[in-house]
Amino acid sequence: MSVSSLQPDPSMIGGISKVPFALMPHPARLFKERATRFEVLAETSNLAPYLKFLAGIARIQADLVSELAPLEPIETGQAARAREGAMPPIDRSAMILSDDYRKTVRLFLDRAQALEMPAAAAEALKAVRSADDDTLAWMAENVITDSLPVESLAHHLYVAAATQVHAARLAATLDGKALVPVSVGVCPSCGGKPAGSMVIGVQGAEGARYACCSCCATMWNEVRVKCLACGSTKGVGYRAVEIDGGEDSVIKAETCDSCNSWSKILYQNKNPTLEVIADDVSSLGLDILMKETDYRRAGFNPFLIGY
Amino acid sequence: MNMDLSRRSFLKLTGAGVAATSMGALGFSEAEAAEIAHVRPFKLATTTETRQTCPYCSVACGIIIYSKGDVRKGDNAEVMHIEGDVDHPTNRGTLCPKGAALKDFVKSPTRLLYPMHRKPGSDKFERMSWDEALDRIARLMKDDRDANFLAKNEKGLDVNRWTTTGMLAASATSNETAWATFKFAKSIGIVGFDNQARV
Repeated sequence: MSVSSLQPDPSMIGGISKVPFALMPHPARLFKERATRFEVLAETSNLAPYLKFLAGIARIQADLVSELAPLEPIETGQAARAREGAMPPIDRSAMILSDDYRKTVRLFLDRAQALEMPAAAAEALKAVRSADDDTLAWMAENVITDSLPVESLAHHLYVAAATQVHAARLAATLDGKALVPVSVGVCPSCGGKPAGSMVIGVQGAEGARYACCSCCATMWNEVRVKCLACGSTKGVGYRAVEIDGGEDSVIKAETCDSCNSWSKILYQNKNPTLEVIADDVSSLGLDILMKETDYRRAGFNPFLIGY
Repeated sequence: MNMDLSRRSFLKLTGAGVAATSMGALGFSEAEAAEIAHVRPFKLATTTETRQTCPYCSVACGIIIYSKGDVRKGDNAEVMHIEGDVDHPTNRGTLCPKGAALKDFVKSPTRLLYPMHRKPGSDKFERMSWDEALDRIARLMKDDRDANFLAKNEKGLDVNRWTTTGMLAASATSNETAWATFKFAKSIGIVGFDNQARV
């Protein structure tokens, strides 16, 4: 909007501005905070061994972000064309062909060896490390299409984690103000699927809901009480693991009767320590109980496939 | 297709963990089983978040009503919390003190749940049926309009005004309801009138 526009702007009343459409990832902070959150959650969870393993993965992701040379930003022409056609500016199929991406994956796989892990995880890592470029490219393609083959979930987890590093660094070069909504449940930066969504308490956007991309970690605004899978606002309900004393849960399943799917919604405005990927994994209990219902999980998290 | 299959089997053969979940495939089945056992006795609580419009004034702020239970699933829903709807263009999540206290309005022990009537000369309200109430209101309005309706003013100009009865309508209405309310009030000549359609 130009300064001289005569369009009324009700957001000027009382200084309440419209919430930003997209919140871009800050990769250096993102993975460090995620690692810390995984460690904190591991202290009290039955899933401690897995959460510690994922904390290690997030530490490596954070290390790579601080070590790798800055990425070339997305070409402005491409970003403008994408905006015109309401498409995401990051072309993920082109992204996985770049040398920077391959380098990141190889580097990640090297570093992952130092992690403490069960034999199955170590064996899978060994297999991925010995895979040729074509096989790695095939795995990268599975990761960016958000469809991991069930017989090699462990192998793909490493490639997905490395992809998150590269995609988040690439998304961080974008201007969030220039992004446009693509479609319900599609990341406006990279076209990825959301892991879930968060109601945030950040100043200027208190109580607004943001979907969180499982690939590039961009957060984009989606109105509340709306299905992230199909966009329906009819028949949306919430389920949560019942807490003694009737206290309201801060992690819920948002269910949709129109498409019979559910996705996790985290109320960060009520508990600021919540982190979308880490808390998604640690709240596995909700997924276990939801599996008994008629709803299918819509949120995509490469660390939590199978629920 | 062939290449795909060979890659699949390559990974299948070289990785030990083949399971339906990430955790199982990575060898964390024990932790996963512990969590499954831990959560089994728990139940899922159903809650709803419902978009509504604040009923107080004609600004018509958007609100979200949180309730326990889901009426659509046959539960008895109970309002737990009410807050401003951040997605609503009018108030963007903010509420005035009256709006912020809406939950007390809903749960107020003095809340009016059915028509009450204080007869002329009486000192107390009595409950009456909706039919009775509507019939009586219509009767009294008609009588008052017949007595006081002014079709022309002293200069002989058409004015069609009825100034002795006023109407105050609610704010939680759709555009169409507001239009119909306005049409109704103005077509019978009511001058003293306020509802959302005025804004």
